[in-house]
Amino acid sequence: MLTVVQNILSFIILVLVQVLALNNIQFLGFINPYIYILFILSLPVKLPHWVTLLLAFVLGLTIDAFSNTMGMHAFATVLAAFSRNGIIKLFTSIEEGSNPVPSFYTFGVGAYIKYVVFMVLLHHTTLFLLEAFSFANIWLIIFKIILSSFVTILLILGIRSFNRK
Amino acid sequence: MRNLINFLIQYSVVILFLVLEVISFTLIVNNQDYQKSVFLSSSNSVISGMYEMSNSVVEFFKLRDANENLSEENTALKNEIISLRNQLSTLQPEKTDSLLFRIPPEMEYEFISAKVINNSTNKLQNYITLNKGLRDGIKVDMGVIGDEGVVGIIKTVSDKFSVVIPVLNDKIKINCKFKKNNYSGPLQWTGMDYRYAELKDIARHVEFSLGDSLITSGFTNTFPEGIPVGTIENFNIKESEAYYNIKVKLAVNFRTLSHVKVINYKNYNEQRILEKAAEE
Repeated sequence: MLTVVQNILSFIILVLVQVLALNNIQFLGFINPYIYILFILSLPVKLPHWVTLLLAFVLGLTIDAFSNTMGMHAFATVLAAFSRNGIIKLFTSIEEGSNPVPSFYTFGVGAYIKYVVFMVLLHHTTLFLLEAFSFANIWLIIFKIILSSFVTILLILGIRSFNRK
Repeated sequence: MRNLINFLIQYSVVILFLVLEVISFTLIVNNQDYQKSVFLSSSNSVISGMYEMSNSVVEFFKLRDANENLSEENTALKNEIISLRNQLSTLQPEKTDSLLFRIPPEMEYEFISAKVINNSTNKLQNYITLNKGLRDGIKVDMGVIGDEGVVGIIKTVSDKFSVVIPVLNDKIKINCKFKKNNYSGPLQWTGMDYRYAELKDIARHVEFSLGDSLITSGFTNTFPEGIPVGTIENFNIKESEAYYNIKVKLAVNFRTLSHVKVINYKNYNEQRILEKAAEE
C-alpha cells in the first residue's frame, strides 16, 4: 500500500517537474532532459509486465498532452518499459523471491549506472528520431540525443544518490 | 482453439506492447487531425489552466521588460497617429455611396492582443499557446506578430485558447522579401538556434548586403505587407549553386515572448474564395 502511494506521488511530482520546469530548460540552446522516465526506472523489478506497460503508456500520454507531441512520448516510454526486464536481466542477477526497487544499493553502483544509461539512451533515441521523423538532419539529431541523454542520466543518478536505503 | 488461447496467454505482454505502440504511432501520424489535436493538446482547458497558473508566476519577472516595450510602442504609435492625422487633414475625404459597402483598405486589418501562456524554443517543432480563442474572434490561419515582428500562424483554436505554429517550427515557411528590392523567398527554421533562420530561393543575381531588413511579402492572406521578419546576419554561395545560403537573424526574441497580437484580416474569406475559384 505504501509503495502504491509513493509511486502515485512520484508520478505526479515527476510530471509536474518535467512539464513546468524541465521543458523550459534551454541549456546550450537545444538540450531538453526528460527525467520523467525515472518513474519507469524505479518501479519494482517483479511488477507484472503488463502493469509496467500500461503505466508507461499513461505516463507518456500525460507528457504528450502537455507538450503538444501527440503519441511521441507514449511510444518511446512504452518501448523503454518493454525492454526494461531484458536490460535488468542483462546486468544483474536478482535472487528468487525478492522484489527490489532498482537503486544503487540493490543493483550495485556499476550495474545501476549501466541500467540507467541503457534505458535513457533507448528512450531518448526513440523520442528524438520520432520528433524529427526523417533522417535529413541526422547529425543534429544524434548531437541532441547524446547531449540530452547525458544531462538526463546525470540528473537521474544525482536524484537517486540522495535516496538513502 | 486451445492452442490459440495458450498462445494468446503466453504472448499477452508482447501483444499488449504492440497494441500500445500502434496506438501511439497512430496518434503521431494523425497529429494533423484538428479534432484530436484539440482534445489532447495544450488547448485542453485543464492543461491550459495549469500553464496559465505557472505563467502568472513567471510573467511577474518579465513585467519590467514588457512595460518598457509597451511604452516604446506607445510612443511610436502616437507619433504615427499624429503623422496620419496630418496626412488626413490634407486629403479631401471621398463621399460616395459605394464606399459604405466595402471595407476601406486602411481598415482591412484588426489586431487582437493576447498573452503567451506556454512556449518552447528548443525542439524541432515548437508551439506557442495563447490565452485567447474563438470567443475573442481568433480563427485558424490568422497571423501572429509580436512588438518586434512576425511570430507565427494560428494552428488550432478552442473556446478560450489557441495554439500558434511559430517561425521556430520546421513545418512552416513564411514568405518574406527584401525591404529594399522586393525579391522574395521562403524563410524556414533550421532547428538549431532560436535566434536564426534560413532564407531560401534567393537567386545568384540578387544584390543585397549584411544587415538588410526582411519584411513580410503580403502574398499570403495571413500577414499584411511590411511586417519586419529579421535582418541578414550572414550569407554565402557555392560556385556550383544558383541560390544563396542566407542566415537571417529573427526580429523577435522567442525566449522572452510574452505579449502578441493576432491579425484579423477582414477580407480573408472573400480573397480565399476568389483565389480558389480562379484555380478551378
